[in-house]
Amino acid sequence: MYPKWLWPVFAVPGVLWLILLFLVPFYAVIGVAFGGIDPIFMNPVPSWNPADWQYDSMIATLKGFLPGNSYWTVLVRTTIYVALALAGSLAIGYPVAYYISRHAKRSKGVLLALLVLPFWVSYMMRMLAWVNLFSPNGYINKFLVWTHLVTTPPDWLNGNPTSVVLGLIYGYVPYLILPLLAALDRIDRSVLEAARDLGASPAEAFYHVTLPLSKPGILGASVIIALPMFGDYYTPNIVSGSPKTTMLGNQIDIYFHGGPQPSVGASLTMLLSLFLAVLMAYYMITIARAQKELQA
Amino acid sequence: MSAASGSRAAKSGTGKSGTGENGTGGRGRIAERTFSHRLKVWIANPWGHPRFLVIVAWAYVLISIVPVIVAVQFSFNAGRSVTVWQGFDLTKWYFSEPAYSVWHDPRLQHALFQSLKLAGLDMLIATPLGVLLAIGLARWRGPLASASNFIMLFPLVTPELMMGVALFLVFLNLFKFIPPSTTAQVLGHVTFSLSYVVVIVRGRLFSIGKQYEEAAADLGATPWECLRLVLLPLLLPAIFSSLMMVFAISIDDFVISQWLSCGSDCDTVPIRVYSSTRGAPLPSINALAAIMVYMTLSAIGVAWLVHKFMTRGERPEGRGGMMQNMGGFDM
Amino acid sequence: MAGGAVELIDLNKLYGTMRAVDNINLHIPGGEFFSLLGSSGCGKTTTLRMIAGFEQPTSGHIILDGVDMTETPPHKRHVNTVFQSYALFPHLNVFDNVAFGLRRQKETPENVTRRVGEALELVQLTGFEKRKPAQMSGGQQQRVALARALVLKPAVLLLDEPLGALDARLRKQLQVELKTLQQQVGITFVYVTHDQEEALTMSDRIAIMSQGRIEQIATPEEMYENPATVFVADFLGVSNLMDGIASGADTGGRCKVKLGGTFELAAGRGSAAASGKTKITIRPERVRLEPKGSGGENRIPGTVQRWVYLGNAVQLIVGLATGDKIQALMQNSGEEIPYREGSEVAVHLPATALRVLTDTGVPLASEGD
Repeated sequence: MYPKWLWPVFAVPGVLWLILLFLVPFYAVIGVAFGGIDPIFMNPVPSWNPADWQYDSMIATLKGFLPGNSYWTVLVRTTIYVALALAGSLAIGYPVAYYISRHAKRSKGVLLALLVLPFWVSYMMRMLAWVNLFSPNGYINKFLVWTHLVTTPPDWLNGNPTSVVLGLIYGYVPYLILPLLAALDRIDRSVLEAARDLGASPAEAFYHVTLPLSKPGILGASVIIALPMFGDYYTPNIVSGSPKTTMLGNQIDIYFHGGPQPSVGASLTMLLSLFLAVLMAYYMITIARAQKELQA
Repeated sequence: MSAASGSRAAKSGTGKSGTGENGTGGRGRIAERTFSHRLKVWIANPWGHPRFLVIVAWAYVLISIVPVIVAVQFSFNAGRSVTVWQGFDLTKWYFSEPAYSVWHDPRLQHALFQSLKLAGLDMLIATPLGVLLAIGLARWRGPLASASNFIMLFPLVTPELMMGVALFLVFLNLFKFIPPSTTAQVLGHVTFSLSYVVVIVRGRLFSIGKQYEEAAADLGATPWECLRLVLLPLLLPAIFSSLMMVFAISIDDFVISQWLSCGSDCDTVPIRVYSSTRGAPLPSINALAAIMVYMTLSAIGVAWLVHKFMTRGERPEGRGGMMQNMGGFDM
Repeated sequence: MAGGAVELIDLNKLYGTMRAVDNINLHIPGGEFFSLLGSSGCGKTTTLRMIAGFEQPTSGHIILDGVDMTETPPHKRHVNTVFQSYALFPHLNVFDNVAFGLRRQKETPENVTRRVGEALELVQLTGFEKRKPAQMSGGQQQRVALARALVLKPAVLLLDEPLGALDARLRKQLQVELKTLQQQVGITFVYVTHDQEEALTMSDRIAIMSQGRIEQIATPEEMYENPATVFVADFLGVSNLMDGIASGADTGGRCKVKLGGTFELAAGRGSAAASGKTKITIRPERVRLEPKGSGGENRIPGTVQRWVYLGNAVQLIVGLATGDKIQALMQNSGEEIPYREGSEVAVHLPATALRVLTDTGVPLASEGD
């Protein structure tokens, strides 16, 4: 019906754009990571040819990840923060998504609209709001003092890991709820009715039917928010701004914006990308396997 | 067991409220359906069927939105604090304050225009590019097509920091003719918004199917007429959703804009907010952020109306709602 | 309207290694109501889409009124389609939908208005011009789709299960209307359906397809009375299929078939000269039940196993002494039917109704009794 060459022609501008401004930039990261340093100006000299690659900064970076070394601490801290934030997000996000998909009737539209709202409020705006609330004489501390839960208001905003984790949760839960909701909505209601019909209590139906069926959704939503959390540096900067809460993202940010070692920064970026790619691949494989199982 | 009987009691309470409208005789029955009684039954069993969930859901919604409302509130503060309420002033931090209001502080005013400029250019470039790419990828077959499809998915899952570093390095070392600048920022924004357009438009393409274009060809339309008279009008809702989505993610973006920034002349609203938060912010920062909220919300309102207007003739099962279109995060 | 002859020559369509259409040869003269009948996945829709031009055949030719159209794109073929889903343009109203093709032909606005009016009158939808497709019922949408295709006065109208989405009552009504319409406009209809009743009631001729091949092409009557293959016999209506051993024709030109090793039957239809393993078939309404012990040729003792009241008829499942199980259908004429479950009977399979099938084809998977 249409000439065969038409569709490639449609795709070419976009594909070229992605090659030039997505794939090539990542090669630039590799080039810088394996490149040298100009001895006079101290700026990186990328090596585009793999034959010219120098491995010094990469090896140094890798050494930094050995237990006890500087990146090791940061890596462990980042992992703990992300894990806690993920657990917290799921603890909040799953019940909310579950309620909206299963029980909300008249309120469903309103709830959905309110859930989508944070998407349209800039992330920085929400962080600003959060910092306003948690500032030394902000509403949170006033409330805590007023209820006599604390006598001296805590300092939330200077190197407090709790604030970082809470900030991450606050920032990323909306991105978790929507895919979870989509996954839960996809579960056929009649399957649950069948479980109830066969004698399962509501709790049993949930535990034996809904939960297993929503596993791919939980996994998918978790990966969707874990990936950007690993690359986050602005949230800890805003709510803490202290070296005590430095995450991997901050480390990379520091190397480029403050330090004289962009090639170390590039090595770190590359390693983090690889790590996230592994996470991504694991997720893809699990999803594929789950789908195959469900179809069989 | 107790949960079941609890909810049954609640149900019978609500059930009777309809029948006893004119019955004055049974006082007990009337008492049973008063609001306070229903509340009592409801509170007596917090673990009854969805009650726990109702509380969590609404609490979450409140907690996610109240801080933003509070932040907007302080943009109307009469004083200079963003944490202590000192009275209401509608316009002070927006434009009346002669030195520090959004309108009179050149850094804030510039950031606002920079954000809008980036978002506008992003919409103009990413949307047509993405629509073409979506159509091309949905219909082009073969190994090259699969590879392109694969590449297209990456920007969706790559953390912005990675993309920011990569673009920063490529402009610094390879495409040296593009220094950190507004141009670099626009190129970066288009790169990460492109895939969102593709996802939205492709969803719509799949729900349309090929039937309408085949029908048009069958009725004598040339391939060009099939595209122009059938496919394009049917894609319009998705194109509008894409425009909105691109606007929203571009306005929201902080990381890419920061990494490709040329300094204070390239500051966008998120960058301005970010760098002010750690200092001693004035309510004008809240006002600046609030202006973005007003703009996005009114844009969504318009988009929702337009979308509703454009798909009014379609059967509900045939279209992905705008919310679904826009929340294209479901992979 | 002259013309509208369709000829398919050695038509093949492969998807990868899957043979969707397998060497089809077909000649449809102008003005015929021709049906392609088969279950889903038999290749009937692919065949139709190749005639329309949406699919390119892997090999073979499509000839329309003597002109080879195989390479012609769909918008240049004088053939129009009524789609299964109707494919009415949702962004256009009824008038613009029907006018779409006319405008592509650069008709003058006056002619467009006049001809759209005529087409809508033909399908009794005058007054609906301003409606959007979504504001109409399924039956009305179907008529719009019909008007949209007919307004171009095609030589051939292709219909892809056009009644499939409608409920049973409406379908019956539209079957009659479609047939009347076809006779009125006099153009060739190529009609794809999986509904045998639809095909039998409307068509001049039917082609039954299975696994990409045409099993038989015949008039509805011929198809029902004289199925050429086991597949056709089984697909169309209910057939009692039994395994037998044939041993050539008898003196009366009928085929001698041995059933269950002992019962010798004479079959008056099909290939009389057949010998060796065969299948024999008889329609349930032609099976006669007689009191136990009745004599004569082609009679086999049996026991009624199930008795099912159908309203206009009674269906009996009878276990034969040969081990086969057959269905008999007795019209409900108001008289008492003397056989119940457990009754012993003599089953008469009249030679004039008994047919020998020589192909080794497999019948459809049985759906219960």
